[in-house]
Amino acid sequence: MHATIQKPIDEIVSFIRPGEKVFVVGCNNCAWKCHSGGEEETAAMADRLKKRGVEVVGHTVPGPQGMSLCKLDHTRKVLQEDYGEQVAGADSFLVLGCGQGVHTVIDATDGGMVHPGCDTIFGGETVSESDIEEYCSLCGECVIEYTGGLCPMTLCSKQLLNGPCGGAERGMCEVDKERPCGWVLIYERLQKLGRLELLDPFQKPKNHAKWSRPRTLKVSPHEATFCSQAGKVTVSNRD
Amino acid sequence: MKITKLFDKGKFVVTGEVGPIKGAVSRDWRVSPSCAQEAWHLQDHVHAVNVTDNQSAVMRLGSLAASVGLKQRGIEPIYQLTCRDRNRIALQSDLLTAYSLGIDNVLLLTGDHIQLGDHKEAKPVFDLDSVQLLAMARGLSQGHDITGNAIENPPDMAYGAVVNPNFVPLDLQLLKMRKKIDAGAEFFQSQAVYDDRVVDEFVEKATGFGRPVQMGVVVLKSPQMGAFMNNNVSGITVPDEWIDEIGSVDKSDRKKKAAEMMGRFIKKHKDKFQGVHIMPLGWTDIVPSILEKAEIDTTA
Repeated sequence: MHATIQKPIDEIVSFIRPGEKVFVVGCNNCAWKCHSGGEEETAAMADRLKKRGVEVVGHTVPGPQGMSLCKLDHTRKVLQEDYGEQVAGADSFLVLGCGQGVHTVIDATDGGMVHPGCDTIFGGETVSESDIEEYCSLCGECVIEYTGGLCPMTLCSKQLLNGPCGGAERGMCEVDKERPCGWVLIYERLQKLGRLELLDPFQKPKNHAKWSRPRTLKVSPHEATFCSQAGKVTVSNRD
Repeated sequence: MKITKLFDKGKFVVTGEVGPIKGAVSRDWRVSPSCAQEAWHLQDHVHAVNVTDNQSAVMRLGSLAASVGLKQRGIEPIYQLTCRDRNRIALQSDLLTAYSLGIDNVLLLTGDHIQLGDHKEAKPVFDLDSVQLLAMARGLSQGHDITGNAIENPPDMAYGAVVNPNFVPLDLQLLKMRKKIDAGAEFFQSQAVYDDRVVDEFVEKATGFGRPVQMGVVVLKSPQMGAFMNNNVSGITVPDEWIDEIGSVDKSDRKKKAAEMMGRFIKKHKDKFQGVHIMPLGWTDIVPSILEKAEIDTTA
């Protein structure tokens, strides 16, 4: 999921010009889980803006709970058909979702003016209703086979691939003494699994071209093509 | 001169350390930066002097400029190069530049994280880790860059690395040390140690790794510094008895006391190592006294 956190209300209000008619769009998946743009927060945002003198022409969270704003065909249908009249009267769209959701609204409104209502902070695991934690950096070249599934690109502050730096103390990271050293976590996990030999081989430097921006993925039922500055890679999901 | 030649001859190698100034070197050649003045205290007493690379992630004069400055003044520098601020292009280019400017010794490190320094909003680079950096440096020596392209006149420098005996679990740190050796580390300098048990456990486990190791010591100047290091300096633990002992004398006697304490500790453990790396943190003037008390004669 894409973790998001709402921008401060004063910052959001500062985006909106006097007299601008705003339509508020939330996301019923990730932003709902983050309480940054679900149904309740979207309705509340409409009220908060009105209270501050902003003209809000409508608001919606496309789809039922679990439906992502970034599913373009659905969002387009909701905005252009179900809310067609209000959307037609809007000068801009305040999006309570991640950056992908903001772009989805641009596409769904054929190039409408958008304002981000949230900061998109990371891709995370929903550990509990109140805790979202980051375990993957979306680097495009997964290295966690040799680390017991724990990502050093994410859990190590320096993104080291061949073991820890010398900075950890009592198992805690030199950057944040409240957070365990990622490499100590990896080591302890592999020790428990009896697989420490996985750490022995030299790990070559990352291919950062796979972490280039922007990247695309073209998918079909039996094949996917990942396109980055490292080139195109096509993989079949059948023998 | 490569310090590996000294290790090869069986010499007990003594190195000191200076930190480049926060500022530029004066165009007036009569005005020496304070780091050069610190280094002069070390001249004739140590075999080489480490020059730190924006240590603790605090922005300063470049380690290469300061290293070249020492070399021009007849002091053998060990140029420290970290992964924190440079991608693989800059790291290789700086290694070629270092050799071209007369540098013979390089210490290759990961580098303290930016969050420990004075530019906390900077982008951390860490394109390579220290093991990958060592392998890349060896590749340059062998005549090719990291992509395999041939280079002209390959550099010929001694490449060192660091290891932290204080790390828990130690076996994980030693796994990295072994990887550094496989990647081309020719000598090691340890992080500062103060604890006899830490020294002995490390020596017992690292014996047989087949690379010379210099024991690292940081001169403890005051009880406040000990407490500060315990709270703020990554990877170093100063035991209470050290803090109590340096605090047992007046400020005016602390240099003398520090020299006595450091000398005593080095003397106790020197036979377990192939050298010592003294980090005086500005008190370079007491290094001769430390060595005297440790009964180390670098002129021999």
